[in-house]
Amino acid sequence: MRVPISWLREFVTLPADAQAIADRLAMLGFPVAEIERRPTITGVITARIAALEKHPNADRLQVAQVDVGAEAPLTIATAATNVAAGQTIAVATIGAQLPALTIAPRTMRGVASQGMMISAEELALPGEWFEDGIMQLDPNCALGMDVVELFGLDTAVLDVEITTNRPDSMSIFGLARELAASFGTGLRLPEFVNPGRDAEPPGEEPQVAIESDDCYRFVSQRIDGVRVAPAPAWLRVRLALSGQRPINNLVDVSNYVMLETGQPLHFYDAQAIRGGRLIVRSGRDGETMVTLDGVTRTLSTQALVIADDERPLCLAGLMGGAVSEVGPATTAIVLEAANFNGARVRRMSNALALRTEASARHEKSLALALTDLGAARAAALLRDLGATVYRPRAYGEPATRAAAIALKVADVQRLLGLPLAAQAIEHHLAALGCEIDLTQPDTLAVTPPVWRRDLTIAADLIEEVARIEGYERIPSIVPSVAPHEISSAAFALESRIAHVLEGLGYREIITQSLRNAGSVEVRNPLSEEQRFLRDSLVPGIIEYLAENASPVRVFEIGEVFNTDANGLVEQSLLTFGFSADPVDEPPWRDSHFLALKGDCEQLLRKITGRDAELKRGAKPGFHPGKTALATLDGRAVAHLGRIDPRAAKASDLRRPAYLCVIEIASLPAYETPRYQVPSRYPSTYRDVAVVVDIDVSARDIERAIVAAVGSLCTGAVVFDEYRGPQIGEGRKSLAARVTLQRFDATITDEEADAAVSLLLDALQKEFGAEIRA
Amino acid sequence: MTELASKLDDVTQRFAAAVDRANDEQALESVRVAYLGRNGEVTAVRRAIGALPPGERPEAGRVINDAVAAMERRLQAAHGELESRAFDAELAASIDVTFPSIRRPAGSIHPVRRIIEESCAYFVRHGFAVVVGPEAEPDYYTFDALNIPSDHPAREGFDSFWISDTLLLRPHTSPMQIRTMQQHRPPIAIVAPGKCFRRDAVDARHLFQFHQVEGLLVAEGINFGHLKGMLTGLCRELFGAQQNVRFRPSYFPFTEPSAEVDTTCPKCKGTGLLGSQSCNMCGGSAWIELGGAGMVHPSVLTEVGYDPDRYSGWAFGFGVERLGLTRYEVDDIRRFTKSDPNFLAQLS
Repeated sequence: MRVPISWLREFVTLPADAQAIADRLAMLGFPVAEIERRPTITGVITARIAALEKHPNADRLQVAQVDVGAEAPLTIATAATNVAAGQTIAVATIGAQLPALTIAPRTMRGVASQGMMISAEELALPGEWFEDGIMQLDPNCALGMDVVELFGLDTAVLDVEITTNRPDSMSIFGLARELAASFGTGLRLPEFVNPGRDAEPPGEEPQVAIESDDCYRFVSQRIDGVRVAPAPAWLRVRLALSGQRPINNLVDVSNYVMLETGQPLHFYDAQAIRGGRLIVRSGRDGETMVTLDGVTRTLSTQALVIADDERPLCLAGLMGGAVSEVGPATTAIVLEAANFNGARVRRMSNALALRTEASARHEKSLALALTDLGAARAAALLRDLGATVYRPRAYGEPATRAAAIALKVADVQRLLGLPLAAQAIEHHLAALGCEIDLTQPDTLAVTPPVWRRDLTIAADLIEEVARIEGYERIPSIVPSVAPHEISSAAFALESRIAHVLEGLGYREIITQSLRNAGSVEVRNPLSEEQRFLRDSLVPGIIEYLAENASPVRVFEIGEVFNTDANGLVEQSLLTFGFSADPVDEPPWRDSHFLALKGDCEQLLRKITGRDAELKRGAKPGFHPGKTALATLDGRAVAHLGRIDPRAAKASDLRRPAYLCVIEIASLPAYETPRYQVPSRYPSTYRDVAVVVDIDVSARDIERAIVAAVGSLCTGAVVFDEYRGPQIGEGRKSLAARVTLQRFDATITDEEADAAVSLLLDALQKEFGAEIRA
Repeated sequence: MTELASKLDDVTQRFAAAVDRANDEQALESVRVAYLGRNGEVTAVRRAIGALPPGERPEAGRVINDAVAAMERRLQAAHGELESRAFDAELAASIDVTFPSIRRPAGSIHPVRRIIEESCAYFVRHGFAVVVGPEAEPDYYTFDALNIPSDHPAREGFDSFWISDTLLLRPHTSPMQIRTMQQHRPPIAIVAPGKCFRRDAVDARHLFQFHQVEGLLVAEGINFGHLKGMLTGLCRELFGAQQNVRFRPSYFPFTEPSAEVDTTCPKCKGTGLLGSQSCNMCGGSAWIELGGAGMVHPSVLTEVGYDPDRYSGWAFGFGVERLGLTRYEVDDIRRFTKSDPNFLAQLS
C-alpha cells in the first residue's frame, strides 16, 4: 500500500526522517518495500486570477493579474488555455525551484512576467491524472499559501507491505494508530459522527434485503444534492500520491475513504435502483452484468451480488456495475458500506480473475465496525462538498465489541521470556485501543478494539505486547534441551551415503522433480514440461550428463513417485554414475562398468558393513549385456550398468554413461564387522588358468575354487580373461590367483600343489574346464 | 712365513684394486665372493698356514685375520660410498613443483546439502534430532493441522502443486512439525530439512523447487528468547561470529507471536555499503531476510494433543537456497538447481 507520510502526519506526530518511520513500521510488522522520495519544490504559492487579458503582442498568450495575497498582484503571461478570471491556481514566483527548472524574471513578447502558472506535472504529479494545463485549486483556498506544504508534496511516500491478518491496517488510520502506539505520541483521529444521523430521508430511500449468509452487515445511506465534478485539489493530490487516479468527486470520495479508513464503499446512482430495494443475494447461473471496467461478466451461484428487483448492480466487495454507475446525470446516490464473508469474496475474485483494491481488503475479512466508520467519513466529506446527507441505516449483525480475552500476566513472560509488569502490558494494549479490566491482578480481561478481528486468543495479545515493547527487547537465550528419543537415522544415512560418494569422486547434483514424464501427474503444472512427478532419477541425470561437454561423475539423492493399489508411493533413491570416453577394448570387456561396480561395492561396504554379491541383472533403459544386480542377504539393493545407448542418444548423450540405482530403504542396517586375526604363518599362491564356456562367470570360478580347496584357501581372484581364436569359439580363458595359507604351520609346496590339483579337478567336473599350460 | 705374508700382500692389493673398480653393488658382491667367499683367495692363503711350523701358525693366523678385517672394512666403506653416490644422484634430480597436478576425480556434496548439514549439526550439538519426511503430503499436515483451514487467506501464499483433492507437494517443511508431534510426546527438539515446491515463476530470486530447514522446539518453559538464542547461533555458524540477528513482527497462521528473521548482510558487514556504492547483496538495507519464525500457535499444540497451558515452543523455517545466495554470494538462485560442474567445483 502506498502511504504518503503527509497523510499520516495529519493524525499522528512523527519523526522528520522518512527512514526512521519506515524502520519503525518494519519493527511493528509492516515492512516498507520502498521509500519514494519527492523532488524539492519551493516558491510555489496559491493565487487567484484577478484579471485576464489578451497579450497585446501575441495571439496565443494571455496576461493575468494574479492575486497572491500580497498588496500588489503579479503580472504573469501564460500560454495555457484552461485559465479564466476568478480561478484559484498555483503559481511559481521568481526564484521558485521546480523539478526541471528555476523561475527567473522574463519578458514574454514585451510583457514582463513575474512568475509561472503551474500544472500538476510541474509539481511532480502524474500529469495525465489531472486536467490539461493549469491545475485548478479550490476556490476557498487562502492566497499566498505554500502549495508544497499545503498538499504535503515534499514528504516521502512509503510502499508498505501489510500481512493478511491486518486488513485494519490497510489504511491510513490503521497505520497512524500503530505508529502512535509505538512512538507513544497521541493519535488525532477525527470524530466519527455521521453528519446525517438526525436527518430522516425524504422517503424514497431503498430498503436493503440481506438474502445471503455471506453478507454480515450493510450500512446504506441516502445522499442527495450531488453533482459530478472534479474533486477538490487536496483530495485529488492525496489520491494521486497514494497511487489512485482521481476520477470525479464521488468516486474519489469513496476511494479516499477506503484508503483512509480501510472500508471499501460503493455508491449507487439512486435513480438506477428499480423497485426500491437493494438485495444482497447469490448470483444466478447465466445471469450477466457489465462491470465498471466495461466487461460483460457471466455470473454463477458462486458470485455474491447486490441487486435491485430486476438485475445485479454490483459484485459484492469486488466491483460495481455499469447500470448504476454515478455520472453527469446523477443527483442522488445510495452509499453502501458493507461487510462480506472474506472467503466468499476471494472465491468470486479468483473465479472471475478480477482483483480490486476493495476485494483485496474484503477478502481478508474486515471488522464489522468499519462499515459505520466508512459511511460516517464519506458522509462528512460529501456534506463538505455540498451534498445533503440523511440518516444511515444498518442491516445485519450489530458491530459490537468482541468478548474479553483472559490474559494471564505470567503467560506473557512464559511465552516471551521477557518479564513485564501488568502495568506495562496494560499500557501497550491500551495504546492499540484495547480496553483492559485490571480487577484481577494476575489475569487481565482484555477487550480488543472493534476494528481488530485478528485478536481472539491470549497469544494474539502477547504478540501485540511484544510488538509495542519491541522484539529487540526480548533477551536472547540458548535453551538446554532435555533428552528425547527422536531418531535422526534417516537423515544420517542419506548424509553418510553422500559423503562416501563425495570421497569416491562424485559430485552431488539436484535435478528437477517435475518432468515431462512419470506415473503421477500434478493437476496444476506450470508447464507441460513439468506435468509429472519423476519416477526415476535416471532421466534427469542423463540430461545433466548430456549438457556437459566433458565426462562428469555425479550423484543425486531424491524422492521419486509411483502409484500402487493403495495410491501414491514415494521412495528415496540414490543414483550415481558417470559419462566416459569410450575405451578401445574387446566387446566382452568394459572397464568403465568395472569401475562403476567397484564404486558400488565400496559404497555398499561402507554403508552396510558387508560385501554385496553381484550377478547379471536387467533393468529397462540399461544395456542388456552390461547390467548387474547387487544383493545383500539375497535382497536386491542396487542395479548398475551402462545406459542403453539408444536411451542416451534420445537425450543427446553421445558418450557411454554408467549409472547405479539404489533404493535407500532397501539398504540393510550397518552391521559392525568383527576382526579376524590373520595367520601368523606365511601364505603362498598359485596362479591357474582354465578354459571354460563364455557363460561361466569369473565369480563362478572363484566360488568353485574356494569350495574345492576349503579352509586352506584364503583368497581366489580371477585376474585375467582372454578370448580369441586360440581358445576357440564360445570359450574363454580365465586366470585366477589362489592364495593358500595355514593357521597352524607354514604351508608346504606339496600341500599347495595338492590343493591346486584338487581345485582343477573340481573346475573340470563342474564347468568342463580345460587346464591351460 | 715371509712367503705367506707376500702372498697375502698380493691378495690384499688385488682386492683393493678390484674394490676400486666395482661400480655397483653387484660388482662389489662378486669381489667379496672372489676374495672373502668360502672358496675365495683368502681361504687359499689360509690353507697355507698348515704348511708352516707350528710355532709360527698362531702369528700367521692373526696376520690373516687382521688382513680379512681390513678387507671387510674396505668393503663396508665401498658400500657406503656406492650408497652415498646413489643418494647424490637421486638428490640431484629437481622438478618444477608448480607443474599441474595429477588429480583423482574430485567429489563434492551439493552446497544445499552442505548448508543443511551445517545447520543440522549446529542443532544436533544442542540436543536436536534431524527428521525427514515425504514431499507429497496430505493437506491435513500441510495446512489444516497448522491452523490454515481451507478458506484461510494465508493458503494463497502457499500456491501449491496439487496431485489430488487432498494431496499436494509440500510448499513448506512444516508438515514435519505435525508428524513428529503426533508420534512423540514433549520434549520435541527437531530440525527438518527437505525439498519444497511452490508454483512461483522462476527468476533470479525464486525457484518452484527449493529446500527449507525447519526447526521446532516444544517443551515446558520454552519462550521466544530461546528462539532468538538458537537462531542467532545458527547465523553465526553459517555466516561468521560477527553476525547480528533481527526479529520483526510478522504473521503466520501456525505461530503466534510470529517473526521475520533477518541477519546482518555478511557482504557489507551490515553497513549497506560496499565502498561508496550501495551493497548489491542486501540492496543497501544492511539486512538479509532469512525466513519466518515464531511461537507455535496454541491451536497447533491442541491439534496434536498437547496442552498449550503447559507446553510452549517455537518453530522456524528458512529457505536453504536463499541462505546459499548470501553465503556464497551467488548472483542467481537458479544456479543451485542447474548444478553445473563449474558452480559445484567453486563451492565445494
